[in-house]
Amino acid sequence: MSSGGKTENRSETLSSMAEPAPAAADLGILDALGDAAVDEILSGYAGFCSAADALISASDDLSASANLVAHARTLCKHGLLPLVRDYFLRALEESFEKSGSLKFWQHFEPYSDISLLESKSIIQDDEVQQVLCNALEEISFKKRHQEKCLSVLVHALQLFEVETSQGKHDAEADRIFLFTKYQLMVSSILMASLPQCFPKILHWYFKRRLEEISTMMDDGIDSLDKDDMDIDEKSTRVKAGEMDIDEGHHQGKILDEVVKNIGKVVRDLRGLGFTSMTEDAYASAIFLLLKAKVHSLAGDDFRSSILGAVKGWIQAVPLRFFKALLSYLGDSYDYDSPSSGLKSPLASRPSSCFHGIDAHSEGLVRWQLRLEYFAYETLQDLRIAKLFEIIVDYPDSAPAIEDLKQCLEYTGQHSKLVKSFISALRYRLLTAGASTNDILHQYVSTIKALRTIDPAGIFLEAVGEPIREYLRGRKDTIKCIVTMLTDGSGGSPDGTGNAGDSLLEELNRDEESQENSVFEDGFNSDDKQAWENAASWEPDPVEADPLKGSRNQRKVDILGMIVGIIGSKDQLVNEYRVMLAEKLLNKSDYDIDSEIRTLELLKIHFGESSMLKCEIMLNDLIDSKRTNSNIKATINQNSQTSADFEDNGLSLDNLDSTIISSNFWPPIQEETFNLPEPVDQLLSDYARRYNEIKTPRKLLWKKNIGTVKLELQFEDREMQFTVAPLHAAIIMQFQDQKSWTSKNLANAMGVPVDVLNRKISFWISKGILAESVESDSNDRIFSLMESGADASRNGGNTECFAEPLAGDEEGENSVASSEDQLRKEMTVYEKYIIGMLTNFGSMALDRIHNTLKMFCVADPPYDKSLQQLQSFLSGLVVEEKLELRDGMFCLKK
Amino acid sequence: MQWLQNPNSSVYLNHRWHAVASWTWDAQDETCGICRMAFDGCCPDCKLPGDDCPLIWGACNHAFHLHCILKWVNSQTSQAHCPMCRREWQFKE
Repeated sequence: MSSGGKTENRSETLSSMAEPAPAAADLGILDALGDAAVDEILSGYAGFCSAADALISASDDLSASANLVAHARTLCKHGLLPLVRDYFLRALEESFEKSGSLKFWQHFEPYSDISLLESKSIIQDDEVQQVLCNALEEISFKKRHQEKCLSVLVHALQLFEVETSQGKHDAEADRIFLFTKYQLMVSSILMASLPQCFPKILHWYFKRRLEEISTMMDDGIDSLDKDDMDIDEKSTRVKAGEMDIDEGHHQGKILDEVVKNIGKVVRDLRGLGFTSMTEDAYASAIFLLLKAKVHSLAGDDFRSSILGAVKGWIQAVPLRFFKALLSYLGDSYDYDSPSSGLKSPLASRPSSCFHGIDAHSEGLVRWQLRLEYFAYETLQDLRIAKLFEIIVDYPDSAPAIEDLKQCLEYTGQHSKLVKSFISALRYRLLTAGASTNDILHQYVSTIKALRTIDPAGIFLEAVGEPIREYLRGRKDTIKCIVTMLTDGSGGSPDGTGNAGDSLLEELNRDEESQENSVFEDGFNSDDKQAWENAASWEPDPVEADPLKGSRNQRKVDILGMIVGIIGSKDQLVNEYRVMLAEKLLNKSDYDIDSEIRTLELLKIHFGESSMLKCEIMLNDLIDSKRTNSNIKATINQNSQTSADFEDNGLSLDNLDSTIISSNFWPPIQEETFNLPEPVDQLLSDYARRYNEIKTPRKLLWKKNIGTVKLELQFEDREMQFTVAPLHAAIIMQFQDQKSWTSKNLANAMGVPVDVLNRKISFWISKGILAESVESDSNDRIFSLMESGADASRNGGNTECFAEPLAGDEEGENSVASSEDQLRKEMTVYEKYIIGMLTNFGSMALDRIHNTLKMFCVADPPYDKSLQQLQSFLSGLVVEEKLELRDGMFCLKK
Repeated sequence: MQWLQNPNSSVYLNHRWHAVASWTWDAQDETCGICRMAFDGCCPDCKLPGDDCPLIWGACNHAFHLHCILKWVNSQTSQAHCPMCRREWQFKE
């Protein structure tokens, strides 16, 4: 009895699962037992125990089964079926623990530190494989034996039930119950004693096997088309993916061998309850391999698209592997898998088609999707990390952008891109070391590249903001932008003309696209078109700013985004006007075709009214050309007037002029000096003729502006220069007198000595003039270098024959820069500001701004931006008129 | 093209001058008395200054934008007067 009670206790612990028969439910039975019955039970139990032990411990020998069946029956007759079951399971468990799992794990003990071993490359590939296979074989054998024993018992129990025909007990359910319990027991024992290294060993094993397959496939591909492997990798891969199946017979066999080997291991592992661990192991191995493949394919070359190659590889290697594996394991994997609930969460199976679709191909499709997603994500991460470089070589790196676009469509991780790219920008572009031109160029490339990825420009908005923010803080931003805009024709000063080209193209492109949109609008009235538009509507991405209007209105417009940097188009237009003026005033021919073109494009963009002044400027040039030739024509009519000048060797042929409507040009800086007599004569003659033609209009010469083409001919050399009028006037003074003191020359020219000294250095640097210091007075003497020998002695540079406009060289512009203009305009407000600060003590910037806005409404109204005011105020601080303390401006005491 | 020659000099100069000038109406006043815009600019209806928006002088020697004074003259039912001096408006010959 006591032993029976004990087993029952144990059975209760063992059979915590739902049990088909209640254990000793009726205590009344115990009273009914007679001594004989007790004896029978005891002997039966002893017999059963010894028979069970014998059966289980004997490997591959079922001779004790008859004995077992008999005793089991005796016990069952007394209603001790649970006892029989539990004892048997217990015995199996003990035996499995002792001789099964312990031994199994012992195999792996030498590899407990697999990473260490691997790093020393002590383990041979085959060795681990061998050990794993052997161990699995052994334990599977053990398990199979135990299962046979279990079926003996099940058989005995079934026999008994049939005999007694006791109930409508479901024998099959009993069997399943026992086997499930056994399976659970096996897995729990193994899991409980799992050494840490085992998953690693599995992972390692699968990794090696898959690498083997991969190289095998790659070799196959190589042998198929070795020649154009590099040239057209992508198509080769895709082709190979299809071809492998029917072409690679020879490697198919080897592959089958390897897969069979793996399949066996997988099946054994599954049998032991390692299903999810196995799946983890080979999944991670495959992903590792895929990652390595993507990395090796992607590299740092952005000139080719690699997505196709990666997909081809997925088809060729991992999917073939799965196909072979799944077909080897058979459908049982999907249906009867004992631990289907334990499947990796990645494998989300649509439950509705669980039975409908062929499980085999469904598993494959699932894997394909998983692998492709992983590939997309890996490639995307790779490309995002390198996005900065990709955008730097943008037009060349378009394939990489296209790849990235596809990846992002698949993964939807745009925010990752935004975050990573912004930090790259901050770190690499928006630094003091980068030139404004480079930043703008990168900005434009960014816009173009991201426009491909995201046509609606939502992510662009986010990415562009830091750049815009930064550029706003730079002084030369506007100038650079305008240079970029207008530089289709002339080279920019620092030789980065290509950046400008792209923007001018952009102007062009916008023009075309605007025409297109008009065209589309016309079509929109068509019902069918409207319906199609409605059908293709897509919601904005979550990142979209709802304030910015919907997708349709948010067309990416590069020029708009560039203007967005500055804030208002007025500033841009003004800067453009200054630059245009500069350019036009320095033209010596009247060729303004490219300027007209640019202006037309800008007019489309900024509106006609804001470009009106620029248009008038160009018009002046056209008028000047006409007037100029009219004036020339009058010479021929009355030749005797011109004869007066021929004495001096100067005729109106030597003079062209640009006549401007000064009200519409930016303020022009005027300097006065005395022109050489003949030139002055010529100019007044020209003006007189103009006055004759265009009465009552007259000309006012801007003597310091314009260009003079000079040819200097010495006895032994000849030189050409294109210089500003002042330079020409200087050198002409030396025709009559070979050396001048600076004072005398300055007097003759009517300019201050320091201006003269500054200007004359141009001729000294060209080796035309030489400078010496007079001994008694501190006056400098300039003298003409009459021969090339003298010039070279003085280290002058006689090699230069054609020179850029000398004025440019000294960084002097004939037109006041917009900054100077601003300063001039702001000085009006200076006394207001000073007065304000006298009254209020100290004021913050925006308060000054607001007060000015409020009070300066008339003549001239205050229309400056906060930034403009700030720069003006900081100018006053530099001039020590104001002080800035804690963000407040106050008067300097 | 001619060489400037000076017997004392050993340098010969040839130059071609491209000068810049601004035009202005030769009027006594700066702005039009009617539209208050600069003479060198143009009247409010015009875009281009100069030939496209000329000045006109009256017999009284007052100048206006042609367009401005025409508008004024046409708006008067009876004889128009110079807006500046109230004398009868006559175009200066």
